[in-house]
Amino acid sequence: MMLRRRAWTIGLAVLPAALVWRAGWLDFLFGHPGEVLRLFGQHLVLVASSGAMAIALGLGLGIAVSRPRLRPLAAPVLALAGLGQTVPSLALLALLFALIGRIGFLPAFLALTLTALLPVVRNTCLGLLTLDPAMLDAGRGMGMRGRQILWRLELPNALGVIFAGIRTALVVDVSAAALAFLIGAGGLGDLIFTGIDTQNTPILVAGVLPTTALALALDAALARMQRRLAPGGSPRIG
Amino acid sequence: MNAVPVKSGAGVTGTVTPVPADLLPHRLVLALMKRALLILIPIALAVLAGIYLLAGRGGDRIVVGGKKFTEGYIMSAMVTAVLRDHGYEVEEKIDMGSGVVREAQVNGQIDLYWEYTGTAYVMHHNMSDPAVIADPQRVYDAVQRMDGPLGLVWLEPAPFNNTYTLLMTREKAEAWSIRSVSDLAARVKAHPDGVTLASNAEWFARPDGFQGLGAAYGFQFPLDKVVKMDSGLIYRALREGEVDVGMGYSTDARIVALDLLGLRDDKAFFPTYNPALVMRRVVLERHPELPGLLNPIARRLDMDTITRLNYQVDIEKRSRDEVARTWLSEQGLL
Repeated sequence: MMLRRRAWTIGLAVLPAALVWRAGWLDFLFGHPGEVLRLFGQHLVLVASSGAMAIALGLGLGIAVSRPRLRPLAAPVLALAGLGQTVPSLALLALLFALIGRIGFLPAFLALTLTALLPVVRNTCLGLLTLDPAMLDAGRGMGMRGRQILWRLELPNALGVIFAGIRTALVVDVSAAALAFLIGAGGLGDLIFTGIDTQNTPILVAGVLPTTALALALDAALARMQRRLAPGGSPRIG
Repeated sequence: MNAVPVKSGAGVTGTVTPVPADLLPHRLVLALMKRALLILIPIALAVLAGIYLLAGRGGDRIVVGGKKFTEGYIMSAMVTAVLRDHGYEVEEKIDMGSGVVREAQVNGQIDLYWEYTGTAYVMHHNMSDPAVIADPQRVYDAVQRMDGPLGLVWLEPAPFNNTYTLLMTREKAEAWSIRSVSDLAARVKAHPDGVTLASNAEWFARPDGFQGLGAAYGFQFPLDKVVKMDSGLIYRALREGEVDVGMGYSTDARIVALDLLGLRDDKAFFPTYNPALVMRRVVLERHPELPGLLNPIARRLDMDTITRLNYQVDIEKRSRDEVARTWLSEQGLL
């Protein structure tokens, strides 16, 4: 059964792939693998660094505002983190350049971190706040204290939702990182914008395909991690 | 808050607390949105139908294209203003790069736009004869001739030459005693690791841009010393000292505003770029009066004028349309 579905998937993908290949659209990708790889590496560094920062900050903030004492800050923090997604990534990059006057990695890193921040904060916070209170009561009844409840009860149970947030954040990050080129931070955006500006589709494709592949690969890898660490699946929020 | 029983996809039963009310979009807003949608959808359909019907009257509508930088915007605004003032229906498509707008015109989607002679000669027709490139009349004649079979006609060119220029801050140029591109080439040869260059994606890839610069001046700019970025940000990057040299456009007001120096193109490598309106022949045949209407605009655009207009928009932050219209009235063209 699974084999037949997989055969269909592969079969349906063959036709467009053949057309793309025939049109010569893959020429630049296969003709300049070193160049594409170099830019892919830059893109990866941007995503990995800003993604890691967004995850670390997002988890920290999400956990913090789910605690009873800081709970009233949850709404404003979520709103602020939301800025990263409501302000278009392009504007964010340009703003950061205008703010710090530097081009290259630093402003791109900051802008991308902000962009990827919201999904992590929001899912962490809501994931923790929508846990079964009965379960938490049981934990307290068993004599667990605050920090133990967090680490042994709350986080493991909210892991599915948190993972979903991280996956969203990283996919958005990969796509926004294509714009980092505009402030001199390199990445696959180089090929995308060159392809657009010179009306050269093979170059454009050479930028788009690795970007897409990266996003899909990250999502798949995290999905696998999620299945191992949070086997219960993500419960629906609300 | 009461826990709500749920079943996840894997058949596991559990409970989930509903999302706290202050973190949900307000219920009232949701209800309002539903009501608004019920009204908005028929309105949207009506508007779409209206647009479709009106747009269908393509006969007298002229599509004006343009490139997406200040000068391009100002000049297409001038054409649009003059056309509309004389009763033509104009549709603007003005947010495109060199390659796209040209292709749109060849496909018939754009009727006229300002194109630079050098760009058409080098980019659209892949020609590179240096004798032609350096001569404004020869390059104009060449593109007029080569575009004929494509159904395109070049109107009168403007006198100004918006060519590429390599820029440095005045201070650094003085410190390094650089006044021409040859001086820069010498510096790069002596200090291959010491000079960074900023370029946009397009100029870097063009044969009349970075790709041909080395051959013309006999030097190799190390690729790892080239930073590619959005052209608008290059001027600021130069000012901030983030790069030593940057590519720019010779009529850009920020050269003056940021006290930058354009290096002298002593080997005449950069092509001549006089702008002229390129029009589809079928449109010209339908409206033979258009050249008489539009050529006076081109005639009056010299280096000083266009730089001044660019300055008014980029530095004085005035609106592009307002600057265009004001100048046109002053010239008696509106």
